[in-house]
Amino acid sequence: MKKNNKSVGIIIDDLKERAKELNCLYEVQKLLNKPETTIKEICEGLLNAIPPGWQYPEICRVKIIYENSTYQSDDFKETRWVQNADIIIHDEVRGKISIYYIEETPRADEGPFLKEERKLINTIAEQVGLHILYQELKEVFHKQKKTTEQFKSDWWTILDFLKKTDTKLLIRISRKMLNYLCWSGIKEAEQLLVQFSPTYKNEIELLKEINRPYQYKTINDTLTFSDDIFKIASKHLSEKEIFNSIQKWIEEDKSGFLVNVLENPGSSISKISDSIERYHHLTQQGLELSQRREKGFRIALIRRLMNDQARFINIAKQYITVNDFNALLHKLIHPTYSYGKLGGKSSGLFLATQILKRSSCDNELLRNIKIPKTWYLTSDGILQFMTYNNLEDITEQKYKDVERVRQEYPYVIHVFKNSPFPPDIIKGLSLALDDFGDVPLIIRSSSLLEDQVGTAFAGKYKSLFVANQGTHEERLIALMDAIAEVYASTFGPDPIEYRIEHRLEDYHEEMGILIQEVVGTKVGHYFFPAFAGVAFRNNEFPWSSRIKRENGLVRIVPGLGTRAVDRLSSDYPILIAPGQPNLRVNVTLDEIVRYSPKEIDLINLKTGSFETLDLKTLFKEVGQEYPYINKIVSILKENQIHQPRGLGIDFEKNDLIVTFEGLIKNTPFLKQMQTILHVLSEKLETPVDIEFAFKGADLYLLQCRPQSYSEDSKPAEIPKDIPKEKIVFSANRFVSNAAVPDITHIVYVSPQKYGEITEHSDLIAVGRAIGKLNKVLPKRKFILMGPGRWGSRGDIKLGVSVTYSDINNTSMLIEIARKQKDYVPDVSFGTHFFQDLVEESIRYLPLYPDDSGIVFNENFLTTSKNIFPFILPDFAHLENTICVINVPELTNGLILQVLMNAEQQKAVGFMTKSAEVPET
Amino acid sequence: MNKKSYNPFEVAQKQFDRAADLLELDKASRDLLRNPLREYHFSIPVRMDDGSMNIFRGFRVQHNDARGPGKGGVRFHPQETIDTVRALAMWMTWKCTVVDIPLGGSKGGIICDPHNLSQLEQERLCRGWVRQIARNVGPLSDIPAPDVMTSAQHMLWMLDEYEAIHGTKNPGFITGKPVGMGGSLGRKEATGYGTIITVREALKELNINPEDTCASFQGFGNVSQFAIELYQQMGGKIICVSCWDQEDQTGYSYRKKDGIDLIELLNITDSFGGIDKTKAQELDYELLPGEAWIEQDVDILIPAALENQITADNATKISNRVKIIAEGANGPTTPEADKIIREHNIFMIPDLLANAGGVTCSYFEQVQSNSNYFWEKDEVLGKLDVQMTSAFIAISEFAKSKKLYMRDAAYVIAVNRVAQACSDRGWV
Repeated sequence: MKKNNKSVGIIIDDLKERAKELNCLYEVQKLLNKPETTIKEICEGLLNAIPPGWQYPEICRVKIIYENSTYQSDDFKETRWVQNADIIIHDEVRGKISIYYIEETPRADEGPFLKEERKLINTIAEQVGLHILYQELKEVFHKQKKTTEQFKSDWWTILDFLKKTDTKLLIRISRKMLNYLCWSGIKEAEQLLVQFSPTYKNEIELLKEINRPYQYKTINDTLTFSDDIFKIASKHLSEKEIFNSIQKWIEEDKSGFLVNVLENPGSSISKISDSIERYHHLTQQGLELSQRREKGFRIALIRRLMNDQARFINIAKQYITVNDFNALLHKLIHPTYSYGKLGGKSSGLFLATQILKRSSCDNELLRNIKIPKTWYLTSDGILQFMTYNNLEDITEQKYKDVERVRQEYPYVIHVFKNSPFPPDIIKGLSLALDDFGDVPLIIRSSSLLEDQVGTAFAGKYKSLFVANQGTHEERLIALMDAIAEVYASTFGPDPIEYRIEHRLEDYHEEMGILIQEVVGTKVGHYFFPAFAGVAFRNNEFPWSSRIKRENGLVRIVPGLGTRAVDRLSSDYPILIAPGQPNLRVNVTLDEIVRYSPKEIDLINLKTGSFETLDLKTLFKEVGQEYPYINKIVSILKENQIHQPRGLGIDFEKNDLIVTFEGLIKNTPFLKQMQTILHVLSEKLETPVDIEFAFKGADLYLLQCRPQSYSEDSKPAEIPKDIPKEKIVFSANRFVSNAAVPDITHIVYVSPQKYGEITEHSDLIAVGRAIGKLNKVLPKRKFILMGPGRWGSRGDIKLGVSVTYSDINNTSMLIEIARKQKDYVPDVSFGTHFFQDLVEESIRYLPLYPDDSGIVFNENFLTTSKNIFPFILPDFAHLENTICVINVPELTNGLILQVLMNAEQQKAVGFMTKSAEVPET
Repeated sequence: MNKKSYNPFEVAQKQFDRAADLLELDKASRDLLRNPLREYHFSIPVRMDDGSMNIFRGFRVQHNDARGPGKGGVRFHPQETIDTVRALAMWMTWKCTVVDIPLGGSKGGIICDPHNLSQLEQERLCRGWVRQIARNVGPLSDIPAPDVMTSAQHMLWMLDEYEAIHGTKNPGFITGKPVGMGGSLGRKEATGYGTIITVREALKELNINPEDTCASFQGFGNVSQFAIELYQQMGGKIICVSCWDQEDQTGYSYRKKDGIDLIELLNITDSFGGIDKTKAQELDYELLPGEAWIEQDVDILIPAALENQITADNATKISNRVKIIAEGANGPTTPEADKIIREHNIFMIPDLLANAGGVTCSYFEQVQSNSNYFWEKDEVLGKLDVQMTSAFIAISEFAKSKKLYMRDAAYVIAVNRVAQACSDRGWV
């Protein structure tokens, strides 16, 4: 990294110089944009605005000649150190801007001038030219409007004016009029078209085509054509229509440069960026585009920068304007000749932001949703980084054996972290850091594959926090270090394994980067948001039959959201369904306390690191300083838990339990969540999940993507043609998403036999036997099927008495609700250990064998060879109650597969050969 | 379902029959005590949050109130059955009588799963239960308390509804209330202290100086923690404590041969009695398997965790040195293990007695509430000591004189007292 340090110093000097130039340009724009300014005033203004942009402003003098007037700085004198740029309007030199140094200075690129100063003077001259052109045209239109009665003379005047000043524009307009006439079905125009353009031929003529070059017309010819065209026009169209058309086309012509840039797939992002900037200024000066053209721009930009899939474009085009891109491009870091994109995560967030912005006018709840300050690094940055450091070989990692990839990964990280970034990227990052200041940052991956394969892929790449403390240089180095590490994660074993498994290794992967301000508050020397989390449109883990999928699911934790995003088996987020906020997962005091978050992720500003702290310790340490604390914790006192009031927390003595009760009950937070999820899902036409954080009184959206499913919880496609004899069970109620492959053992506790047990000790023994089976059967390769409510206590004849440790190795927990007399008993939804099941991805499924249309192959379960007494001879007396079936042994190597699809509310468990889950 | 299935009420009746045989009870007494005096079954209509109505089934079973007002919890259970409630009501009668407090036995319940109900719905359900039974319960007739899936909050809703119906303040209607809202001090300590009071009395009887003893505990929750506190105050040494490790999903025993330090351990324990195993090892505790607590070479074993922990398998591993087992938990010993323990002549203090400190304190809460005068903690714990000590002496002497196993003695003495009360009242 040493090498970097040196270049950083120079770069910063360079940047200071660039900042001066930008300021100068800004001053010039300000002058031009002032309404009702005369050319004289502009020129005089420029005399003062220009020098600060040059390297030696004190000795810089300016002279401007425009038509017959000359303007110059106060103590102006001509010297030989001069730089000139012409003011050109309609291809005609109408004036000149000259910059003089009145003393000798060291030699630079162009005499004493820098090459950047050449660019700057050219830009200023061009802007002035454009401004004058616009003023002149405006004057013409203005005059026309005054004499509205005489449209004919009006538009003829314009055409005359163009004949003298801008023949190219005249030709383009004439051509457009001709096209317009032809589309309107005017015969004369069609004939004219043949002459105007030799390529116009009807089909018959094309057949007769002879082998000789076309005769091109001269400019003079075309000018005559122009007259012919407008004569025809005046016969068929109203005066007003002609006038309006010409006016529209002239306006549109001004944005023609943008069409060229955007339609050309070879245009670099800098080119696009310059053009959008120029377009932005034109719109500020009053340029108005037809809706169609604006739409064309929008779509082209979406395609180039975000995503070229039709579905995405169709949605995005409704919400993103060209000017939105202008703002985005100001925060876009890219290699000089970049053709990259934002990547999945960045595009998703950008689009979601715009949707919420546009929807907020008719929904109060969306009004205050904020987005953290974000900068983007284009997806091809990684390629440039690798080329710059000769790391191309690493792209071949994906063709290596996964084990080797795993072994080499630490090396890849090491190399990446010790490779310098190309100067143009460093420049961009440095600018971004100036913009951010010293707030902590999160560096997120935003890859192209995320778009391609859906979000199952997301989460395979790294996201890193940087504390962003210290000098500018230190911060820059830390930022680059983090980006390098995220880059390296592209070549990590997990994503590569995933790509190989899904035959995506040949797909071209690029990695965009999202640099986001961490939403949070400084508390002591810690930095964190009051709380954060993830929210899902569809609730895939209902804990009650009253919770519907569309009630959604929010996972909230205090501090950084990392603990809500990831599943941790040792700590728990608060789960809540925003559509059913009163139906809680945890109801008894014991559950509430046991499943409350115990730790917090935060950034320690002192050590500059991401840390996990014990919440109780933190509460004691920071006390009331913890933002929003009254909404986050409840006080546990004896056998009661209650919300704190006002100054009601004694941080020394009170036992604080994180419940978010205040947030849930006394704020519109959940309603807001539900609205966001609803609006985004509706507009994006797919259920979404979002990440959020809360700071002050504001909710921040951090990420938005189509609802993700971890690899094993995608809606499984259920084959239609499973032979009935292969099906062990099917279900059509309370089904969540999952594909549970490769089940080798079924543990079946017969509801009937269990119900017939007369001795309490035998009921207890069934639970103990299950606990023992849980230890000896292959982990996550067996399923437990049993009556009613697993984990019953007290009334254990209603379900097997087990604790979580007795079942924690199963891949599924199935509860069988058999009809008894006239009622079907309730199932438990795994209530007793619901959050443990969720965090460990153990699937839950209730079966209702007596429902119509349901398959329940009891015969297979009860008459197949039962290996239970062989595994646990001590419990052999329970062999009628507990059956353990070794599926491959019984079926010549078949396994049981359970496919569950929440969308269709269907699940099936069946014998199959293949261990592979069908692709969805 | 099938007729032939496990029925807790039948089990309770059989247990009663054995005691009745020993006492040679007459038919009328048997018929009266085999079944509840009164049962109430009712429907509770509840307006749900979405506007719809749901009808829940509620129960209150009053097994016997010959010795005083009925006392017993109200359970929320999704598959509650009347036989379970009957069995539990009967169990309450014996439990109150063993410690000789002037209360009878009751139990109640509602068939529901609170996981399917919002707080508001639960409140309406609680109030609905009281509305249906308000005339048949009360501080002088039948006193509910928290139980499975009901909490202090539910009790306060029920109390409020009861008082609204009767237009009076009746804090003695219900127990399990928070301190300051009619609850009693000393509740946390009561069960654990009660266990050790019985141990103290047992040691006296065996002529052993507590200071010369050491003990091993299963569980490090509320009961254990206070039991350890009092036992240490008596001069005893605790060598081993076991607890559940949430992270590893298994139990561990923590041993320190020269005695554990309670304060030190409490500092590294979560609110569920889980000891931090890393920190414990740093503090020089030996980390042993979960079952190791029972194999320790100690004088006293105190199972104070879950039911069915001492089984035929591990009962054989109990050291010959062990002289007393005090059941701090409910039903920690399986019948097979009980047989082994009995054969080894270990002094068994059965759960009915050893963990009766809890119900005794509930009684004190009710007494304080009725007089609307609340005692200091010392007074509560002092009275607890008196009550538990006399209860122990009565049972132990009964056991000695009748040559009964302590567990049987406790049961028989309870049945006998209730039968006597019924007869004194002229009911049989």
